[in-house]
Amino acid sequence: MAMTKKTVGQVTPEERAEIQTLFERRNGLNELAKILTADNAELYEKLVKDMGETGRKFQNWWDRMAEKYKWESAEGGNWEINFDTCEILLVLA
Amino acid sequence: MTWEIAKQAIDYVLNNEQEFREESVTWDFIGGEPFLEIDLIDKICDYIKTEMYRRNHHWFNSYRFSFSTNGINYHTEKVQNFIKKNQEHLSIGITIDGTKKKHDLNRIYKGKDGKGSYDDVVKNIPLYLKQFKNAGTKVTISSPDIPYIIESVLHLYKLGIKDIHINCVFEDVWKDGDDILFEEQLLSLADVIICKGYYKNHNCSFFLETIGKPLNPKTQNTTWCGAGQMLAIDATGNFYPCMRFAGYSLRSKKPIIIGNIYDGIDKNKLRPFLTLDRITQSPKECIDCEVASGCAWCQGENYDAAETNTIYQRATAICKMHKARVRANNYYWNKLYRKLELEGEREEFEKNKCEVKPEIC
Amino acid sequence: MLQYLIILLDKESVSFCSTPPKGERGGGLMPLETLRQGIRFGMMENLMIQYVYPDKELSKEYAEVIESIDHSKIKSLPQSLLKEGRMDADVWVTESIKDIKAEVPVVWRTDKQNLFNSEADIVCALENVPRLNVVLTDVETFTDEDFEKYKQLLSALAKHIEKLYVEGKAPQLNLLTDRMMLQKMNNCGAGDTTITLAPNGKFYVCPAFFYEDESDSIGDLENGLDIKNKQLYKLEYAPICRHCDAYQCKRCIWLNRKTTLEVNTPSHEQCVLAHLERNASRELLNNIRKHGTFLPEQEDIKEIDYLDPFDKRDTWQ
Repeated sequence: MAMTKKTVGQVTPEERAEIQTLFERRNGLNELAKILTADNAELYEKLVKDMGETGRKFQNWWDRMAEKYKWESAEGGNWEINFDTCEILLVLA
Repeated sequence: MTWEIAKQAIDYVLNNEQEFREESVTWDFIGGEPFLEIDLIDKICDYIKTEMYRRNHHWFNSYRFSFSTNGINYHTEKVQNFIKKNQEHLSIGITIDGTKKKHDLNRIYKGKDGKGSYDDVVKNIPLYLKQFKNAGTKVTISSPDIPYIIESVLHLYKLGIKDIHINCVFEDVWKDGDDILFEEQLLSLADVIICKGYYKNHNCSFFLETIGKPLNPKTQNTTWCGAGQMLAIDATGNFYPCMRFAGYSLRSKKPIIIGNIYDGIDKNKLRPFLTLDRITQSPKECIDCEVASGCAWCQGENYDAAETNTIYQRATAICKMHKARVRANNYYWNKLYRKLELEGEREEFEKNKCEVKPEIC
Repeated sequence: MLQYLIILLDKESVSFCSTPPKGERGGGLMPLETLRQGIRFGMMENLMIQYVYPDKELSKEYAEVIESIDHSKIKSLPQSLLKEGRMDADVWVTESIKDIKAEVPVVWRTDKQNLFNSEADIVCALENVPRLNVVLTDVETFTDEDFEKYKQLLSALAKHIEKLYVEGKAPQLNLLTDRMMLQKMNNCGAGDTTITLAPNGKFYVCPAFFYEDESDSIGDLENGLDIKNKQLYKLEYAPICRHCDAYQCKRCIWLNRKTTLEVNTPSHEQCVLAHLERNASRELLNNIRKHGTFLPEQEDIKEIDYLDPFDKRDTWQ
């Protein structure tokens, strides 16, 4: 079955900027994790901690926004944000 | 470039965070062919990532690695491993000039009896498009390329490349009649794009609604080119406002070196670049031009072609080509909108149309 | 519009502005015929001629030709004449102002170190010369620390000048009193209002362009002037300067090109020095006015929050 996307809401540019920074940071940490090893103890420890913290902030943003805007949801679906338009999309597999 | 030079260049840029306050950064690797040095580039990118993170540099939250490649080594294990490792931060442009005939006219292997590279590049396109779904390509048109414009653009569409950034070179290469030939090619291309419906989901940057209008001398006075707002570093560690100011890019002028990795940037040499505006560098014919918008320039070519050693004299070799483009562009939009109106689809089109930004050097 | 023609009578003519010192230029008197043709050019173009002299004595023949047109003479001031104050010149150029006395304006070429140590000599000179033009020969080397010293020196000199004004005198020091009198830019003018004729019969933007590279000419007596990109010497084509009100700034075209590679763009150091002068002039003007009416037709000099207009480029329209 083809994936469908439906616009279910919009966030403010400030809210978009917050999640975009977290998104970029999470991607950066994930790619850094591919090259950092435990040999570099100091940085590795910082990275592990940071990944956990960024992940929490990321989830916290979605929880806060979902609570604030009460977007439509569906079983098996997930929300996505369009960084260009600030739109929230409901994605159904 | 040696690893030592590369490392020192990175250290200079990251050590001087207060001088580079932009929110985001693109680390751009340009030619020769960057993927011939994939081991070095991989090491450089790893160092950049690690150092940005170790220093808590603000760019760690917003960076890209960008490559302009001929695409021949795209499929190799080393390049593919590099792509997987940095997938979320990559911007890769593969250069294909168009059809095999056109591409192989200019892109020939050294010492292979004149064999062109088209076949080796094009086999990598499906993989490239799979990995970078919205990938586009950049095509540059010089005088001998004019007769191949239509077939080249349509060929690239056929390969699955939907976004084509195409522009005429800024150098004074144009012969008498080139503008008429160019206009004819663009008119025919406009017909095909409209008749075959490519306008719905393909882009060709020749056709932009914003070009061909007069510009207000006060409110529309910004310069076109980004020279001076970037930092270009050569293999020996010299800094330039753009690589077009390096010795090997210039025909008749001395390079403009604005510093090096050892002594840093000479900010006085950046001042002319950062205070340039359109009016100060343009001749009267450009200031008064009724189709000025979208007429581009390259600061390096301006410098190279200027009568004195200045970046403040705009080269106008491209003028007749821009005017031909404007005429064809007007035709394109008039024809397209009439068709859409007759079919009752204009409103829908305007709502959904893809935005193409003008190509900025 | 061209107004002035500087004629360098010799390759070793005195340096009277930021031009590098004579050093190893080697001698070379302008041929008499070239001088005649130069004067003829000046007459035909309606230009005011300024002769720049070498240290050596010129022959009677030269003197006769020189006197064939109205002109000014720029000469170096021999040490032996420092205290006498009499000599056949309209502008004196000197490397030392200690105990100086003169009846004509004096140009003092100095480096920053010497300047910082010369407060007392400057104060003394201001009472003994009608005008003192300080020309810094190492502008491009100024550091933040030097800027601070310069600011302090200007402030101290302004107090002396204020006192002299109160006493009814009217000393002229380019660094401080010019800005009080000006209502628009009054700068170097090389390539715009002023050109230079060198002993080789060729025209140059200014003497420094000739001394730096003789091939960098802008025409010759035989074929006339040929100033490429002439507009770039004009204020309207100088993006930083056209937004600036440090009207007394030297805006040295040669230093511009040396430091930024563009004749229309000043260096950071040039801009900061000019603004320190501007701000000290503002203070001086305000303080003199506390003693009574002074230059009533002249507008106040505004308070500003920058020393380099380049830093304000985002606010330009």
